Amino acid sequence: MVETFTPAVCGSRRRQRLALAGFAVGAVAASALVGAALGAVGAVLGTQLAFLVAALALLAAAREAGIVRVPLPQLRRQVPERWRSELPLPVWSVGYGIGLGLGFLTFQPVATFWVACAAAVALGKPLAAGLCFAAYGAGRALMAAWPRYGQPDPTAAVEGLARRRRFLLLGNVVALLVCAGLLAAAPTAGAAIQTQALGAGLDPAATWSVVGRARMNSGSSTVLLEPRDGTPIAIAGAAAPAVDGGLLAYDDAQGVKVINWRTGELVASVGGQVAKPALDWPLLAFVRTDSTYKRLVVADFTDPASPVERVIVRISAGNDLGRPSLAAGRIAWHKLTATSSTIFAQRLATGRRSVIARSSVFVLANPSITSTRIVWVRQSSRSSILRLRRWASPAVRGIYRTTGSTRLLWTTALTGRTAYVTRWSLRTGASTLVRVNF
Amino acid sequence: MRRPDELVDGAAHALSTRLAGGLTRRSFLGRMGGAVLALTGGAAVAAAVRPEESEAFHLCGHIWTTGSCPSPMGWPRIDRQGYPLRPGDGRPIDNLGRLVNAEGFAIDSAGERLVGPDGEPLPRAPRTRLCEEWIKERYGLNSHTQGSWYRCCGNQIRKLVDCCSRSTRRINGDASLVGYCWNGNRVFCVMYYDSGLSC
Repeated sequence: MVETFTPAVCGSRRRQRLALAGFAVGAVAASALVGAALGAVGAVLGTQLAFLVAALALLAAAREAGIVRVPLPQLRRQVPERWRSELPLPVWSVGYGIGLGLGFLTFQPVATFWVACAAAVALGKPLAAGLCFAAYGAGRALMAAWPRYGQPDPTAAVEGLARRRRFLLLGNVVALLVCAGLLAAAPTAGAAIQTQALGAGLDPAATWSVVGRARMNSGSSTVLLEPRDGTPIAIAGAAAPAVDGGLLAYDDAQGVKVINWRTGELVASVGGQVAKPALDWPLLAFVRTDSTYKRLVVADFTDPASPVERVIVRISAGNDLGRPSLAAGRIAWHKLTATSSTIFAQRLATGRRSVIARSSVFVLANPSITSTRIVWVRQSSRSSILRLRRWASPAVRGIYRTTGSTRLLWTTALTGRTAYVTRWSLRTGASTLVRVNF
Repeated sequence: MRRPDELVDGAAHALSTRLAGGLTRRSFLGRMGGAVLALTGGAAVAAAVRPEESEAFHLCGHIWTTGSCPSPMGWPRIDRQGYPLRPGDGRPIDNLGRLVNAEGFAIDSAGERLVGPDGEPLPRAPRTRLCEEWIKERYGLNSHTQGSWYRCCGNQIRKLVDCCSRSTRRINGDASLVGYCWNGNRVFCVMYYDSGLSC
């Protein structure tokens, strides 16, 4: 390419530098644009693709190692020769850079470019993907400039590179294998967090096959249940849903009810000043309030005719227990007082209680649990963060964040590698459900 | 035609000449200080720091360089016990920066309890001392409110207070001074209490 800019005995060093600069600008800009566009596509798709891209990288590595034969999509074209004679130097040098920087308008000797494209889509972040692809354009520019420097004859430099082709291809295979490993680990490391707003609602409840929420309308609440493969179900006058398979718990004016949401059959009920149910059938947790105390109660409905209640914790009525979460033999709740906030988890079989997080500064609230993880909200005066932790590790990370005092996070739900959180406005009271895939 | 760098140099030289000729050092620094605060601290703060009061570093009465203690609303205004107050009017706030009533429940400006998205009154949030609780949790230090001094700010007596600890680094990140701390402690950050007494 460098001898295209300044053929032998034709053109000054200054002309060459100018052309190389134009080429570099075009290449970097075009490749950054490609990366950003792919990242934008990934953001729209909103699906976890990291494992797919890891598989693609493995396939590419096998291809480069000669194990499999896979044709590559490519346009077998070179930069237009006539531009050099028809257009001014700055225009055609930038044009050449754009043409090669785009990547898909020319030869593709290896599969790495297409793996990078898939990775940009999986990343789902236009800015980050654009920056990464800009490096590809910079590499293109470097390969245009490099043969000229330190070499009396650029051709010799290129021929030397061609002689080392075997080692370069081997290095490419190793790089693809490393990428495959990193991409496979990426979801665990948080590289593939996707968020999506799901419309108006609060107090999410979720299993793999159904998502529930409450919706406020003129001061009254309706529970809306949306099965993955069925018609949505609405229950007027109900609030604070909790789901477990085919069962739905909610609170209403009479207390807490558990129904078969497919048939509407009443399965269990608890009367009185009770609310905020959590469900892991035959266990039902709820908060019972009187004038003096709030009690977190777990009722065992193994014998539906005579459920056995157990008080997990009792606090004074002025403090807050929030909405508990029940799963896999554990219960989690928060305790909010004027001096601190704490996230607790307790094993029901042993009664062993642990403090997951505590703060005298922040508000820690609304945990949700599964057999492997726990999420909760940490709120400060400036931001709200959805925090995640595995039971097996003390490491905590934020997976979703809002800023400002009027865009707050509230109640949560967790199933598999998907968290749901209520996002609401202090100013208007309006709330939206947000899904976070991590 | 002059080169672009020569044009920029010339403009900068002309600006500096004009500034030096038209302003005293004190008034120049005062205006620059106000301008910087307007960019970084908000219009309300910039309005409070007029050029003639700009002996302050970042808040009136504080002529040294130690940074503010962390607080819900950015400005470390406290009551006599060290709990956070809203900087503008001195009303009690919780750690989330919300106005609170005597029981600690969040309220609006009319005194009505704030409600959540479910229509129920919001629960209490922690309201804790900026020095003893906030610094301890966020920096892992055993901190104490110790030394203080007084200045006239906004026609009322302001008490500036040191939050002191054993740390040899202050909140700014650089070396800490003893200041008005005692018992081997050093200044970590500063807060202030507005007495309301005229001066």
